[in-house]
Amino acid sequence: MGQVLEFVNIYKAFPGVQALQDVSFRADGGKVTALMGENGAGKSTLLKILSGDLRPDRGHVSFNGEVKHFMSPHQSLNSGISVIYQERQLINSMNVMENIFLEDMPGNKLGIINRSELKRRTQEIIDAFGLPIRPTDIVGNLSVAHQQMVEIMKAYRRDSAVIAFDEPTAPLTDKEITILFKLIRQLREQGRIILYVSHRIAEIFQITDEIVVLKDGRLVRTFNTPETTERELVRAMVGRDIGDTYANLKRNDKIGEALLEVKNLVTDYVHDVSFTLRRGEILGFAGLIGAGRTEVARAIFGVDPVHSGEIKLEGETVRFKSPRDAIARGIMLCPEDRKEQGLILQRSIRDNVTMPVLSQLRKGIFLDRKSETALAKEAVRKYSIRTPSVEMQVMQLSGGNQQKTILGRWTSEKIETKILILDEPTKGIDVGTKAEVYQMVCDFAKQGIGVIFISSELTEVLNVSDNIIVMHNGHITGRVSRAEATEENVLEMAMRI
Amino acid sequence: MRAVFSQFIKSKTFTLIVLLVVVVVFFQVTSPGSSFLSPANIKNILDSMVIYILFAIGSGMLIISGYIDLSPGFIGVFAGIMVGSLLGNGIPWYISAVLTIAAGALFGLFNAFLVDVLRIQAFIATLATGSFIAKGIAMIITDGKVLNITDPTIVWIGTGKLPGGIPVAIVISLVLIIVFGIILAKTKFGRTIYLCGGNVTAAKFAGLNPRKLTYILFAINGALGALAGVIYSGRMLIANFTSTSNYTFPAITAAILGGISFGGGSGGMLGCFLGLLIINSFNNGLTLLGVTPYWQSVFSGVLLLLALTFDYISIRNRMRIKPAKVHYDPRMWYKRNRNREDGEIG
Repeated sequence: MGQVLEFVNIYKAFPGVQALQDVSFRADGGKVTALMGENGAGKSTLLKILSGDLRPDRGHVSFNGEVKHFMSPHQSLNSGISVIYQERQLINSMNVMENIFLEDMPGNKLGIINRSELKRRTQEIIDAFGLPIRPTDIVGNLSVAHQQMVEIMKAYRRDSAVIAFDEPTAPLTDKEITILFKLIRQLREQGRIILYVSHRIAEIFQITDEIVVLKDGRLVRTFNTPETTERELVRAMVGRDIGDTYANLKRNDKIGEALLEVKNLVTDYVHDVSFTLRRGEILGFAGLIGAGRTEVARAIFGVDPVHSGEIKLEGETVRFKSPRDAIARGIMLCPEDRKEQGLILQRSIRDNVTMPVLSQLRKGIFLDRKSETALAKEAVRKYSIRTPSVEMQVMQLSGGNQQKTILGRWTSEKIETKILILDEPTKGIDVGTKAEVYQMVCDFAKQGIGVIFISSELTEVLNVSDNIIVMHNGHITGRVSRAEATEENVLEMAMRI
Repeated sequence: MRAVFSQFIKSKTFTLIVLLVVVVVFFQVTSPGSSFLSPANIKNILDSMVIYILFAIGSGMLIISGYIDLSPGFIGVFAGIMVGSLLGNGIPWYISAVLTIAAGALFGLFNAFLVDVLRIQAFIATLATGSFIAKGIAMIITDGKVLNITDPTIVWIGTGKLPGGIPVAIVISLVLIIVFGIILAKTKFGRTIYLCGGNVTAAKFAGLNPRKLTYILFAINGALGALAGVIYSGRMLIANFTSTSNYTFPAITAAILGGISFGGGSGGMLGCFLGLLIINSFNNGLTLLGVTPYWQSVFSGVLLLLALTFDYISIRNRMRIKPAKVHYDPRMWYKRNRNREDGEIG
């Protein structure tokens, strides 16, 4: 008989919200069980309970028939449960082998580490994965994708009976995803219990056997993966039929004159980049992670220095020294990493929305709280940000609502936005909210804003943009219109096959 | 109204007020002849806070913005000597004082330069500026000799009283902490301090100018340090090389007790003031009870740790999270919250 992990009547409340309510299901050994749901559905809370990071208010986890009350991550690990979170928990200044064997270094009785043994065992793991990294590489110097793989190696090394993945593929490129899936299948063959959280529906159908759908803290349905369809799954998650997202978009059909002309732009990261963005146009940037798309945005926004080339805004040559200059001329950026670069997490929605326009929200020398609140409330209304009040700390919002807060900041009535650069705006956002974001992007275009839409999700960048620029390794390798673009030809250009 | 009240109960300010009341009641009951709350003793307590308040204002704002400054105590040492020698050369008190405060601001700008351009850790940079350079220059100026301060106006600022018997120095420091408290809470400049301290990259990407802010805040702290040095020399009638140098750490400690966190982005001047009031009341009370300064030091440490523990418990209850048995590490609480990621809340 295989191994069984059961969640039994789990309840968990946070101030103001019931995060989990009577959730029960079982995951069997030798199967990959997907946990799906919109942001805020309770997936992460469930994983944190499994890992001992949080304790349920009621209910328990049972493993092979044995009731477990994990008081700490340590106990959970010792019971053979590894949870791999989205946020990498690596020590950047240490090397790969030290990270992988962090709490269990091979050594003698005096505690002196056996480096050759450490290196040998690490190399074995790396070989099993088939990755081009060395045991002695410093983790901080690795690419984000490889760092994520090191995190997975850590769990692999522990030889745990239960392995839970929380959005493991978010930072990975196709190459590592292939490796990861091969590995997951291998772990499944060995009879392990695998939990898999992801927003990418295609992956779910590729790798999982069973699907558990959560919504607002409750278990909605469980599916046998082969017996369901994408549409049925989305309906269960969203609670309604969202239909064909892209066909239903209300698009802008009046593309105007040139707004931004970039000619032969060269920075440390991009080479000879030229393109034109017109009023009301959605210009997509496709490419693999690290292709230089974010860096083009950073150069235009005045973050990275421009070595040569020309940037013309409404016919006038500009070169911004800081984001401040760019914002003053109507160029706004929603950065890729919204927690690190976009938001002040411990401040309220209000503070995050009003920050670029504080000068306009004053009565005499003092800030006018009323007009600040009014502006933030307007953003909450316009983008239907789900929150009890504008005083809510941004860190307590879900990813989608955080993204909407940034959009609210850049499109308030106090600011004149000409160009909006959206870098991975749907990263970590659930399907329902994604559809909302696409419509927002089209609405911006309708208002005559030129939108630069950077995304690593091919389907969305091809279907939302009017024109698509494909980048590879800092160069532009292709330009297509929406009508001409197919996933195949864009991918070819992106990978330079 | 009830919501406002229940919010207040949960606030840091409320915690501090409770702690203050406990300290006050305890010493009022135990002090000989219930002398703790006598007007004279209250004046003593406030008087003992003057220099700390001036340091806590600037350091508090810098910590909120994400930096630390260990130099103001030594800038105060320098300022005492500078104002003393200017006065000794017959320069009028107001010119001497203004020049000295300006010199303090220059030291602050130098700190900001070290931190901003040379990217030296603020902890080390400000220690070097203060304890070595500022103090060293002070010693060079007088060739290592202490100076007597005799200028009547400077002495009046340090020791004089306004009609009604209120000491001038107390009024100066209270007015300043109120003014800066309002600036911090109500103006764009104040908000910018919180935003940059919360996340400097995000602040920059939203069009704020964190670099400019760094220079302004270090300059303010330097100027306040110099002002404290001038007042101190006026009170002691002497300018020497220790003067205010031991005041920096207690001021920072009180700011932390008052809710300003090393993580940046949180806290305020009211908390800072209450923190100072608690620590100084406590020390004053111990003196009334006849406890020696050595034991006072130990008790102060215990009080601080108790206060932080109390704070931790109240935060925990607020979050209604029962943590596993972990040692207390404020960063951990912060990290937990940060790591709530795509949050299961909301």
